[in-house]
Amino acid sequence: MSDDDVAHLLRSDETLVIIEAPAGCGKTFQGASYAKDVAATLERGRLLVLAHTHAACGEFRKRTQGASNRVEVKTVASLATEIVSVYHKALDVPPHAETWAWKDNGEGFNEIAQKCADLLTRHPMIGRALVCRYPVVICDEHQDCTPHQHAILMALHRGGAKLRIFGDPLQRIFSGTSPKVARVDAERWESLKAEGKHATLEVPHRWKQGGSLELGEWILQARAALLNNQPVVVPAKRPAGLQVIVADNRGQARKQFALDAAHRKTVDAVMLRDEMLVLTSSNILVDALSAYTNRRIGIWEGHTREMLGILVEALQAANGNAEAVASALVAFVSGVGTGFSMSSHGNRLLQEIKEGCCKTTKGKPACIQEMAKLILAEPSHVGAARALKLLGGYIANKIAGFDAIKIDYRSEFGDALRLESFATPEDGLSELARRRAHFWRALPPRVVSTIHKAKGLECPHAMLIPCDKSFADTAYGRCRLYVALSRASNSLTLVVPSFGGSPLLKLE
Amino acid sequence: MSATAIVHRLRILGFRGLKEFDWRPKQGMNVILGGGDMGKTTVLDALALLFSPTNSATVAETDYWQRETDTEFVIEATVSLPESSGIEGQRRMAFPWHWNGKEAVQPVSKDGEPVEPDVPVYVIRVRGTTDLEPSWEVAQPDGTADHLTVSVRRQIGLVRLSSDERNDRDLRLVYGSALDRLVADSSFRARIGRAVAKVPLTKELNADSVKALEDLNEKMDKNSLPTGLTLGLTSGQGPSIGSLIGLLAMHQGKEIPLSSWGAGTRRMAALEIAAATAGNASLTTIDEIERGLEPYRLRKLLGILEETKGQVFVTTHSAVAIECVGKKGHLWYLDSKGHIGYLPAAKIAAQQRREPETFLAKFAAVGEGKTEVGLLSFVLRKAFNGNPLDEGVRVCDGQGNDAVLDLLETLADAHIEFAGLVDDERTSPGRWKKLKENMGDRLLQWPSAASEGAVIEAIPDDKLEELIRNDDEGLTGIRLRHLADRVGLQPKDMASIKAALAKQDKTLKKLIIEAATGSTAGAPEEEAAAWKKHGQQWFKRDGGGEELGSKMIALGAWPSLKDKLLPLINAILTAVGRQPITGLPT
Repeated sequence: MSDDDVAHLLRSDETLVIIEAPAGCGKTFQGASYAKDVAATLERGRLLVLAHTHAACGEFRKRTQGASNRVEVKTVASLATEIVSVYHKALDVPPHAETWAWKDNGEGFNEIAQKCADLLTRHPMIGRALVCRYPVVICDEHQDCTPHQHAILMALHRGGAKLRIFGDPLQRIFSGTSPKVARVDAERWESLKAEGKHATLEVPHRWKQGGSLELGEWILQARAALLNNQPVVVPAKRPAGLQVIVADNRGQARKQFALDAAHRKTVDAVMLRDEMLVLTSSNILVDALSAYTNRRIGIWEGHTREMLGILVEALQAANGNAEAVASALVAFVSGVGTGFSMSSHGNRLLQEIKEGCCKTTKGKPACIQEMAKLILAEPSHVGAARALKLLGGYIANKIAGFDAIKIDYRSEFGDALRLESFATPEDGLSELARRRAHFWRALPPRVVSTIHKAKGLECPHAMLIPCDKSFADTAYGRCRLYVALSRASNSLTLVVPSFGGSPLLKLE
Repeated sequence: MSATAIVHRLRILGFRGLKEFDWRPKQGMNVILGGGDMGKTTVLDALALLFSPTNSATVAETDYWQRETDTEFVIEATVSLPESSGIEGQRRMAFPWHWNGKEAVQPVSKDGEPVEPDVPVYVIRVRGTTDLEPSWEVAQPDGTADHLTVSVRRQIGLVRLSSDERNDRDLRLVYGSALDRLVADSSFRARIGRAVAKVPLTKELNADSVKALEDLNEKMDKNSLPTGLTLGLTSGQGPSIGSLIGLLAMHQGKEIPLSSWGAGTRRMAALEIAAATAGNASLTTIDEIERGLEPYRLRKLLGILEETKGQVFVTTHSAVAIECVGKKGHLWYLDSKGHIGYLPAAKIAAQQRREPETFLAKFAAVGEGKTEVGLLSFVLRKAFNGNPLDEGVRVCDGQGNDAVLDLLETLADAHIEFAGLVDDERTSPGRWKKLKENMGDRLLQWPSAASEGAVIEAIPDDKLEELIRNDDEGLTGIRLRHLADRVGLQPKDMASIKAALAKQDKTLKKLIIEAATGSTAGAPEEEAAAWKKHGQQWFKRDGGGEELGSKMIALGAWPSLKDKLLPLINAILTAVGRQPITGLPT
């Protein structure tokens, strides 16, 4: 379907419109321009845009600037949290549902979505009230909706909302790896299409505008192949912008990435250029690749803060116990960086705390003692944050004994310092998450990221390294590969091992 | 969303004379009755402040209960809102509560329970802060509150006819007035402003004034102040241009502002404007509805109000108004403690028609019949040392034992403070017992007797002949005739009657009680009807109760009746804020 036809369908009186949107085909453009048009003509209420990632929210906000008082952009999770918080007394949830939801690294959000879906189903008046405010709802990236989130959406539709759903079944990477769930989701998408009117975006805009159109067309072909459970053919005559390098990881340890000198030169020439997004399959490889470049490539932290969540939970559990606070601090720093571990600094820190910082010391032990004093003075998130701040100063000033410490997850480390200003660490965690939701950070010139965190991002150049067996011949593997392939507009470099490459790629 | 705005519950805390007020008004027309200074107007003013169409509404020290401005006052309503209210446009989403018929609650249903149809309501309030500022809020189900925007209040559009003589707000283009809502042209004022600005006002000035302006211009110029002076429209503090624009109507060939018509016409016109507004979603409050209206127009207006779709709040002091509140109106009584109770039409209809003033008193004491009304009036006049009506205490005729029981039960159910004086006719003992428990000292039911019986029983035997005597009204002979008939005598002299009584082994007292209560025991068939009417020549007549009361004192019955009557009298005294007494002043 042409772009104009899609635009026309979106603006029709149909109550349910489904747009299948391959990456880079102008989905956000279509959605945002529709949003602006609706906002200008709505007689009452506002347009609600529901996305999944804060990155997507940021993009939508940016593109609907000017109409912002008639457009509200939020994640499905935050809508559910808002509703559940308002009715928390009836739903047996603490007053600050968001804070509560961050428990177990955000596991609570699924429970919240379930409670919200249930509430909306049982009490249609709430859905109707929401629809009064939001007569038109756009759902972005529908494939990432959990079943409960999907139920929330359909409750709004039942309440009378005009629903515009954008989704791509091939970018479904957040709903787990299970083939069974993948099948259920696929069926859900098909039945949605059957229930409403649907169309597919087909023009590779990302590559048309200043990128490599050949690359864009190849990616669309790759998508078609993956949808049909066929391998992606990399033709002998490579499309402009597509490059394949065969190179093997010579790393000795699991957490290490290394190449031999010959390959290193080829890979680095590409990897270290500007506007480069290096994509890899796991957090371990992200750390390893950053280390491989001697941190010339930073880590894209995305919007998740795994270690911060663990730290907050440990601090909450420590409940005034200085030793527990210190242990939590050590675990946190070793999680967000290198060169700081139990053996290097942690044991000394714990010893100082046990002994009450009574010994006269010099050098590195004295520095550690200063940290211990702060924790002893306030054995809580406040003391921990102050000690971390002190540590940050040691690292920045390359104090002897701390000069080997490298913080990879700088934003996460920075967030931990900010915990000091909150009443409880949980409050801090949720407030910092909320702030991230409203904060848009541009991609640095060179960055390495997991595919998950890179979803929704676009960049002139991308490298997928390594294209190995972790891209298996499963629904999940296909989706992950497609998301990785579709990030770059100008050049895409695939680093393929000589043995044990992905079965999804067929090199000619 | 509902078709019109409906107030399901109104709570007032510490606003003017209302310390604690909690009311669940009905849909349709609500007529608030009660004595003076009970707070009827305060209830309407509270609604008006809550739905104020401007943010400029001010709060005075006197709006706080007992002028205690350290304590906030709160006016809070649980309302259904129509879609047109724009509540969905609040900065933060206003979430609905569920109305369970009594209060706004969280919508709760646990797994497995069937899905109940919800009645979505919003809880909105205005607080008078300790800084003497009104603060409008919408309460969210989680306990937090957000500012309630003026536009929502304006859209709800309360039409308010206050008893203020000069009030013609709704006939003018004031923000949020009925006329403003009818015209519904938001840029109208700006256009008038532009049009008026084009009128060359200076041209209309006389020559001297023009000269004065020119002189001023010159002086300003010398002192390097702005020049080019002319007269034109400027906006600023004070009345807006809209408030100068009102409805005109033709009167004897001339256009006359509607606001200069009579009070009744102004009020009826304002209501017509409100009714003609698209959606007709508004709430209406009318203070002293009878004001300026002749009874025939009052009847017509009440009829119209009963038919309107919106909710109406009316206060009245008019017996005519109470009398013609039809089946669709709802009567409420506000008592001296700020308690408001519902008066179901079916239960009080008879009393309402017969003696509408029952519901206009500060405190009503209901006597079962003429004897009780007279007796109560007499003792209360003594106890108050003047007319009890001057203090809002009205003695009403309940017209019979069953009717009084119904009425008192209704009032007790409504938690309204009333008093009652009744006979014991040995009917419905269970209901009377329950009522007594509820009313306490405010109810006196003579044990196993009628009032006449109880009082006469207490009169010493040697004073009985004085009891019979009423020469002023020429009743002495008639009463002797009754007694003679009852002992089967032709002559009616006292000696013969006493002799006949001795033969029958019956006391004179018993005979008098039988005659005074119209007993038909032992009556020949053809005379039963006549015997039954005997009481009407004794004390069951206008002034009869007073005669019985005065004789109770004069003939020495008071000491033995004191224990019965004094608690009732004191209950009435204390209900209107008087000190209790230990005996009747002589």
